[in-house]
Amino acid sequence: MAAIEIDGLVKSFGGVEAVRGLSFSVEPGRVTGFLGPNGAGKSTTLKALLGLVQPSAGSATFGGRLYGDLDDPSATVGAVLEDASFHPGRTGRNHLRVLAAAGGHPASRVDEVLAFVGLAEAAGRRVKGYSMGMRQRLAIAAALLGDPRVLVLDEPANGLDPPAIRWLRDFLRRLAAEGRTVLVSSHLLAEVAQGVDDVVVIARGELRARGTLEEVLGGGAVATVVRSADDTRLASALEERGLRIERSRPDELVVHGAAPEVVGEVALEQRVALAHLVAQARSLEDAFLELTGEDGAA
Amino acid sequence: MTALLSAELLKLRTTRTFAAMAGTAIGISLLIVVLVAAIDEGFSSEDAADLLLFDTSSFFICALGAVGITGEWRHRTITSSLLAAPARIRFLVAKLLAYAVAGALLSAVITLAVALVTTLILSGRGEETAGLGDVVAALWRNALVAALLGALGVAIGSVIRNQVGAIVTILVSAFIVEQTLAGVAPSVGKYSPLLSAPAAIRVVEDEPDLLDPGVAVLVELGWIGVLAAIGAYMLRARDL
Repeated sequence: MAAIEIDGLVKSFGGVEAVRGLSFSVEPGRVTGFLGPNGAGKSTTLKALLGLVQPSAGSATFGGRLYGDLDDPSATVGAVLEDASFHPGRTGRNHLRVLAAAGGHPASRVDEVLAFVGLAEAAGRRVKGYSMGMRQRLAIAAALLGDPRVLVLDEPANGLDPPAIRWLRDFLRRLAAEGRTVLVSSHLLAEVAQGVDDVVVIARGELRARGTLEEVLGGGAVATVVRSADDTRLASALEERGLRIERSRPDELVVHGAAPEVVGEVALEQRVALAHLVAQARSLEDAFLELTGEDGAA
Repeated sequence: MTALLSAELLKLRTTRTFAAMAGTAIGISLLIVVLVAAIDEGFSSEDAADLLLFDTSSFFICALGAVGITGEWRHRTITSSLLAAPARIRFLVAKLLAYAVAGALLSAVITLAVALVTTLILSGRGEETAGLGDVVAALWRNALVAALLGALGVAIGSVIRNQVGAIVTILVSAFIVEQTLAGVAPSVGKYSPLLSAPAAIRVVEDEPDLLDPGVAVLVELGWIGVLAAIGAYMLRARDL
């Protein structure tokens, strides 16, 4: 059984469906990126998984069990929510002491996780004096209190500076290497692309793609970038074959839906000399925008 | 439940609000009894025993209870609280118990401090002082009232989640609604939870406008139970 199983999840707020029949699973030992633009339903899905919102239909479980039904929830699952908040008058250490007490974790874990996230020196300060990055580190520390096998992180890189983002990425990879399950949501692809094994892409509450990073990267139509001695003639011949042409620069065409071999063949038929012929690398960004319907429309 | 209760008590101890309100309750209680004991004359042991009832902790712990639970919504700490312990009803029960315990402890400290200060002042002035039995009786009666009002504050806050709204509701209920009811319809007013029922638990003598102490405790528990049940229903159904 998968570590995390989302099965036909539907969540409506009033008459608005935030999540529409979403299904996917997350395997242990891998970092899974949960991607989608703002408002795609990522946070709602994660909150349903963590028992904070009640699904309208379907289920979201850990190994087949609801979060609230786990024997020791905070020792099984660690969570960082995008809107994680703290009592401003409580110190960082006391915030963690409270959560450790509620979760039944030893008080000694508090200083361990504070040191781990680099907040040991600021632990005695009130949270209202923390920067956004420090608050995010504190939220991560809270998620680690129970040394959980599963980590669910909603936009964890928000507010972190580049070294901290790198630290977070390395940390998540290390956890996955230990066999733990990591599900990390983001609307910023750059921060996720370097650190995940699998991706789940959603938009408007619906699943758009899932698989390994390579599968999603290569899952769409190919494109070829071409520069030639006679772009007009070549473009006309390619369009006659039903291919879509886009002029990326005055002297350059992008041929959608055709590999370089096909474009080269047409150029040969038309006896048009080629100056440049290369497959366009389809970036995760492109795939993401295409999958989520955000390309050009935004 | 023990873990949740200790977490709630730790929450109480780790913010300045509790220290400030507890300090204010102790300060006001002592100020009143010091002034009365130092200025008034002709104290009997019954008069001295009455001074032991000047424990203002019950009002403060009621407000603190409301602040404690509404603060979870105001500061959005409710999500981390329910991630650490997802059983929502147990979370609410732990909070009710925590403020009951805190109220009883705060009240005990105030009653003992009042007993010590009044005994020193009155004996220094050659006046009669309260007996040990009076002190013990005031101790448990005051503690019981503070415990009930601490839980009542949480129950009110579980229904009215806006912090200011909850505090204003307590103030208006206590000083306008209940005072008015006590004046114009005492047979109804004696069932009110913030002034009349607590007074009935504290006062030893028969008072026609007050309930029997045992009945008053049941009435107070009834108010807490009904409000907490509504709060529990709302908490259980709510998306966070």
